[in-house]
Amino acid sequence: MSTFEAATAAGTSGGGSLTLTKATRPHKIKGKRSSLLPLVPFFAFVGYFLIYPLFTVSKDAFLDNSGHFTLANFSQAFHGVYAQGFLLSMRLSLASALVSAVIGAALASAIVRIGQQSRKVLVAIASVLANTGGVPLAFMFIASFGAQGLVTKALKFAGIDLYAGRFTLFSFMGLLLVYCFFQIPLMVLIFSPALENVRPEWREANDSLGGSKVDYFKNVSVPLLFPAFLSTTLLLFANAFSAYATARAMTAGQMPLVPLLIGNLVDGNVIANQEHLGHALAVVMIGVSLVVMSMYLVVLRLTKSRS
Amino acid sequence: MKLKLRPAHYLILLGGALFFVFPLMAAVEFSLRTNQGKSYGLANYRWFLHQDGFRPNLFMSFKLAALTAVLVLALMVPTVVYTHLGGAKWRRLIEFICLVPLVVPVVSFAIGAITAMPTLLQSTPYELSFLYVIISLPYTYRALDVGLSSVPLTTLVEASRSIGASSRHTLQFVVIPSIRSAVNGAIFLAIALSLGEFTLAVLLHWDTFPTWINNVSQDNVLGAISLSVFALFGAIFIVLIVALAPNIRKSEKIEESA
Repeated sequence: MSTFEAATAAGTSGGGSLTLTKATRPHKIKGKRSSLLPLVPFFAFVGYFLIYPLFTVSKDAFLDNSGHFTLANFSQAFHGVYAQGFLLSMRLSLASALVSAVIGAALASAIVRIGQQSRKVLVAIASVLANTGGVPLAFMFIASFGAQGLVTKALKFAGIDLYAGRFTLFSFMGLLLVYCFFQIPLMVLIFSPALENVRPEWREANDSLGGSKVDYFKNVSVPLLFPAFLSTTLLLFANAFSAYATARAMTAGQMPLVPLLIGNLVDGNVIANQEHLGHALAVVMIGVSLVVMSMYLVVLRLTKSRS
Repeated sequence: MKLKLRPAHYLILLGGALFFVFPLMAAVEFSLRTNQGKSYGLANYRWFLHQDGFRPNLFMSFKLAALTAVLVLALMVPTVVYTHLGGAKWRRLIEFICLVPLVVPVVSFAIGAITAMPTLLQSTPYELSFLYVIISLPYTYRALDVGLSSVPLTTLVEASRSIGASSRHTLQFVVIPSIRSAVNGAIFLAIALSLGEFTLAVLLHWDTFPTWINNVSQDNVLGAISLSVFALFGAIFIVLIVALAPNIRKSEKIEESA
């Protein structure tokens, strides 16, 4: 449920100041029971602009073109090109989430050690890079890793031919490379707060009690950071899974990723009267995301009960 | 007490920097090519500045961003403040609702908006701002929640009330100034998201700056690369100003009190 919560509260010490203010709070501000009235605008807004659209999609996914109940949309969503699309989307999301999580965590561990001011600059730039996508991102990679790109040429000069094998920017590996460009900064952004909660004193305590580097890693770092690492990885999965702009700019219709298939159905580019199939695909996408998030909850509970 | 940088960390930083700098530099190099790559110049930048769509679409994106920021503030500041005061009961539910947009892929959300929103709203591009508020909820809620957790809110509000301030005045003159940086963070997140958002805009058939870049890229590749460079460095520039600005204010405060 709360991926961000875990990201910031990975260290148990993180909540320390928060509970302190709660404990010192003298008494409740109002004697009477809390009313719902101040929350009406929020619930109204979210109800109308979030819950109502999601409800409509879910309802329409079960209708045929004449408005009768059917499961045909879903059976179509699980077959043929759509099933392939889901598999491809999930493979790409999983691969990019794992690669970016490992590299991003390593980068974050270096970034939390540098000075306050330069860290601020790096985090600000990371927040821009995490949001790059679509045509600008595609062009950057075509200019660098494309067949005529600068990096490709430089590597060729050094004797490495990127394009000797089957690599192209528009293949699975190429997309993976491009996705890393916005996934790694996202990992750095969300994982850094968790790393900041790791106190140098714990390292000293480990050393003074005679623990080795391996002991520290096994008994302190991993148990402490694993939930945050895993939750952020799952968030990266969801992020890659729903990426539309970049997929659209990079694949030119060659890679049947689910967001693109849905987009085509919405635009009516393929066949008319298939909008309910689009609804069903949208619902399955939400379903996949939900499964990923519940997996995170289960793992979080397991790690908690063990400690 | 500070952690030290070891050689391995320098290597990681260097590798990361290279991965991110190369594509940026390559895009800059391409954007400066003129005369079929025989010489360098600013011709591509002049090209997009003189396109008819450049100003109106950039302006449209700024208007959407401004409206989104206003909506986020009006909706979220009172709500999150209330969950920290009397409405703690509702906090978990509200936190849960604010995380829902993370689970829902934007494409799915776009389909829902197309099907569910009334024609009245769908006939104006400003509908996008309402949807941007929704997709920015996870980030804006988080920013405000963290900000409010770090101030003694109850004490502040009690003090303000005991000297006779109304709820509105308390919010305006006590609560918001004390969480200024969190409010700034929320505004900034909302603006950044609205300026770069592509999926909702294109699926709901509106022209914004990102969708315009997409359209233009089909006619003039080098022009589109320079436009991308412009958009990206523009964004980095704005973000750096925001990131480094609070320090200036802090140092002013110290001077004032000294």
